[in-house]
Amino acid sequence: MGRYLRLYGYFLRFSFSKALQFRLDFYFRVGMDAIWYGVNLAFFGVLFQHTGALGGWNYDQVLVFICGVFLSDALHMTVFANNMWWFPFLVNHGDLDYYLVRPVSSLFFLSVRDFAANSFLNLLLAVGILVWAIARYPQPFDAASLVVYVALLLVGVFLHYVLSLLFLIPVFWLHSAHGLREIYFSFDRFTSRPHGIYRGWMGRVLTSILPFALIVSYPTSVLFDGVTWQVVVHVLAATLGVFLFMLWLWRRGLRAYASASS
Amino acid sequence: MIEVDRLSKTFHVYRKPPGLLGSLKSLVKRERVEKRAVKDVSFRIGEGEIVGLLGANGAGKTTLTKMLAGIIHPTAGDADVLGYRPWERDDRFRRQIALVMGQKAQLWWDLPAADSFLLLKEIYRIPDATYRENLAYLTSVLGIEKELTIQLRRLSLGERMKMELIATLLHGPRVVYLDEPTIGLDLTAQRAIRNFILAYREENRPAMLLTSHYMEDIQRLCKRILILRDGELVYDGSLARVVERYATHKVVTVHLRRDGKDCPTPQTVGDLGEIVSLDPDTLKLRVPRGEVADAAAALLSRCSVADLLIEEADVGDIIESILTARGESVS
Repeated sequence: MGRYLRLYGYFLRFSFSKALQFRLDFYFRVGMDAIWYGVNLAFFGVLFQHTGALGGWNYDQVLVFICGVFLSDALHMTVFANNMWWFPFLVNHGDLDYYLVRPVSSLFFLSVRDFAANSFLNLLLAVGILVWAIARYPQPFDAASLVVYVALLLVGVFLHYVLSLLFLIPVFWLHSAHGLREIYFSFDRFTSRPHGIYRGWMGRVLTSILPFALIVSYPTSVLFDGVTWQVVVHVLAATLGVFLFMLWLWRRGLRAYASASS
Repeated sequence: MIEVDRLSKTFHVYRKPPGLLGSLKSLVKRERVEKRAVKDVSFRIGEGEIVGLLGANGAGKTTLTKMLAGIIHPTAGDADVLGYRPWERDDRFRRQIALVMGQKAQLWWDLPAADSFLLLKEIYRIPDATYRENLAYLTSVLGIEKELTIQLRRLSLGERMKMELIATLLHGPRVVYLDEPTIGLDLTAQRAIRNFILAYREENRPAMLLTSHYMEDIQRLCKRILILRDGELVYDGSLARVVERYATHKVVTVHLRRDGKDCPTPQTVGDLGEIVSLDPDTLKLRVPRGEVADAAAALLSRCSVADLLIEEADVGDIIESILTARGESVS
């Protein structure tokens, strides 16, 4: 474990060294994300001019939820997204080769090697917005709910990463990730809506087989409904289940990996 | 150290007819083709041996190397490298092997190589003292101590290749796979890399499997070669034996003295061998191996000879003729 943390330390150092060379990109990302945050806040603001509740949550609750989405997304973008972007190219161009000969988990290496240091400022921005949304909430949250919320939000970030990789691993057999990415992005939109709006089979799918609703919406519910073991166990069990399935698929993928001609 | 037993690899590929119509057809029905990249290959490589792996493009060299490095799974057969099955990717196995691919970089492009080496130190759990000792040895032998702290993308191709070699050997591997380590390098850099590989072999005695399209690499580094043709191992033996067996001729070059004697003509020397070139200063003849002594004696008596040189046929040409001789067995 200590060794992997030290390796991650190297990745962080390398990524910051690299990112600081591209200042324009650094500022561009901050601007892009600030616009995205603004558009989403405005969208829900407009929506609540026509309704008093969405999926059982009022405006203040949805504001906390959507700011949680910003933080979850910023974490995913900073820690995992670059690596997910490059993954299909590495498989198709045979560039996994060097990862596979190293005496270290290739999955770890591939998933966190590239830390998006140029998104780091967005992460601080997202933390600030979430703190603001929680602070302006009419009733103060109790400490236990806040701790469990933050913990489940971090589990949600991990779940987000597992789901994104799950949609990319088939590239070992399909050799193209375009369609897979599109499907993933379509599903990913469910992450940024309160789970209360999904009813019937759709609600069941989004909280079990494809648990996008567990990434932010379920963790947020502990702030409003109090911490229940059902929610905690549900999020942890679903995350573990999807993670084990991803590991199984990953191993199958590596068996099918054909590299590329030299 | 390396034992390969009837190793095979079959890839499945799809054929697509050309053009838009072909693309539309392949949407409905695709022709699946089996491509046997490596067929029942068996051999052994011992400690301190550098074995050359030769073959035309697509002969299966890289596929074989990647199976032995644990990158791809074989379809059939088995291999034992240092007591491990490579494709099971045991960390203890991976700590003892190394792979260099001349066409693929492993170091961070935007950082100095020294930074990447520190990461490799952590990956391979190299103790501080060993790391310092190995790095000092490798950089001094390759003569690139000063370039260590320069961003990789600012280095020349030769310097980058040297850095790649250091990255490969820092952890002191017992088995090294070298896939085109000198590709694209100028002659000076090629020579430096070859000298380094020989020095490293003497010092550390690893088993090495070398793939190269440069015959100079093979001649300088390998006493033993493996020849792959269409995925099959058609020769496993010494390089010298191939030359002896397949070089049916030697080349005799005569530098002529311009002292008034009659210049040789096809009529006067044509019976001694096949004339490769003839001008007033030089005569080059291709002579059957068994007749070289007689031909040389005849040339000395018939021409005014300033110098006479007898050479083996070009090894590259010999190997080339074996690689392209479809279906013929090699002994």
